[in-house]
Amino acid sequence: MSQSAVFVIPEAPAPVQVGEGPQAKKPPRQIRLGILDNSKGNADHLLAMIVEMVKAEVQVASVLSLRKPTAGLPAPAEILDQLTREVDCVVTAMAD
Amino acid sequence: MSAFAQQLMSKGVALEARDDFQTVNDLYLERGWSDGLPIVPPSAERVEQMLAYCDRPWDEPVAKIPPRWGEATPIRLAANAVMAGCLPEYFPLIMLAIEAMCEESFNLYGIQATTHQCAPLIVVNGPVARELDINAGHNAFGPGRRSNATIGRAIRLALLNIGGATPGSCDMSTFGSPAKYSYCVAENEALSPWEPLHVERGFPADSSTVSVFGAEGPHNINDHESVSGVGILKMVAGTVAITGTNNVTLPGGDPLIVFGPEHAATVARDGFSKADVKRYLYEHTQVPFTHFSDEYIERRMKTLYPERFARDGMNARAPMAGSPEEFAVIVLGGSGKHSAFIPTFGHTPGVTRALKRRDGSYASSVKDFLRK
Repeated sequence: MSQSAVFVIPEAPAPVQVGEGPQAKKPPRQIRLGILDNSKGNADHLLAMIVEMVKAEVQVASVLSLRKPTAGLPAPAEILDQLTREVDCVVTAMAD
Repeated sequence: MSAFAQQLMSKGVALEARDDFQTVNDLYLERGWSDGLPIVPPSAERVEQMLAYCDRPWDEPVAKIPPRWGEATPIRLAANAVMAGCLPEYFPLIMLAIEAMCEESFNLYGIQATTHQCAPLIVVNGPVARELDINAGHNAFGPGRRSNATIGRAIRLALLNIGGATPGSCDMSTFGSPAKYSYCVAENEALSPWEPLHVERGFPADSSTVSVFGAEGPHNINDHESVSGVGILKMVAGTVAITGTNNVTLPGGDPLIVFGPEHAATVARDGFSKADVKRYLYEHTQVPFTHFSDEYIERRMKTLYPERFARDGMNARAPMAGSPEEFAVIVLGGSGKHSAFIPTFGHTPGVTRALKRRDGSYASSVKDFLRK
């Protein structure tokens, strides 16, 4: 009969998120909505539908729509900075 | 239980199970820690043997692997290397390859998560390739050599288990690729008429390096008829200049041209340096706009190349790379009148890293790497 032995776990756990998190902030009465388009065909259509759905649920003060130059790379710092400055939350979508 | 095993258990990085091949395989498969093939059970003893070839503490991260951003510690990498069937002496190259592909410029997040079918291809240069018996000759992309097969598999297991590239959730590749099981070769420097890849990229000839590319599988270029360098290059260019690759719309991705030694000898004999080859390919692989669909031109090509379209209209052509230098050229394989084109993910240049000791000095071999 086989005995037990010790085996190494090959998996890394997901990093633990630190910081306040969005739930720590009181949501504003009206949100400034950010839209990040991944630049693939149909992302704009999908996001436009999502904006309408969000508007039906909450008061939206403004919508800022930005588009990544290319789908395969992360959004450049300028886009992320602008979203950080000018909106309360961001909806992003990939659409192939 | 050994002291090492006790230490691992106390740190929560190991588990206890029945010491039985089938039991461990079933357990690891059930937990998603597998590529689907049977694994070598990563016992504490086997992992400890692997770590004898590591130059840092077993819990000191080498890198963080996206998309999960899991910490690639030596202990986890060693477990994956054991599972893949690696010999312990392969371990320094595995750590080096992981470091290389986690450089930000390589965009591993995109490569892991994309719907494209790319996988990191590992190209080894320098004395370590001979030392570890990495195949650079006949059937180098295929089966038969333990080093190629298991180094590549260890990388894939690490990308799955540490990086979280689970098919269908974080790895969204439409097709996947056989290259996602294992993709590791050495350049055939002995039969290359040109400077090898690592020398071209500024490393000493006697250094040992790993280069990584976000690559599709190789597409063969069969040319048994051309007897001149320009003839072979024309056939290569004709194979490269196609509409469906990422390279034609995402420049900066080091499209990889793999010359078989016989083709390379003919091209070099006719006076083409590597730089000449790249210039030829840049000029002769530009794809006419007329080869693309009307929708593709309207929605993609006009946006991507507005100046070319304004100047040439439908006579405009789209390059496969942003510049001649972006083409990567290596020599590989055995005898036969074949070369290969490896399209890449695009927008993500290949990265080359040298094997070094912790003091920063080059290590030409694993033996040299271990020297105190």
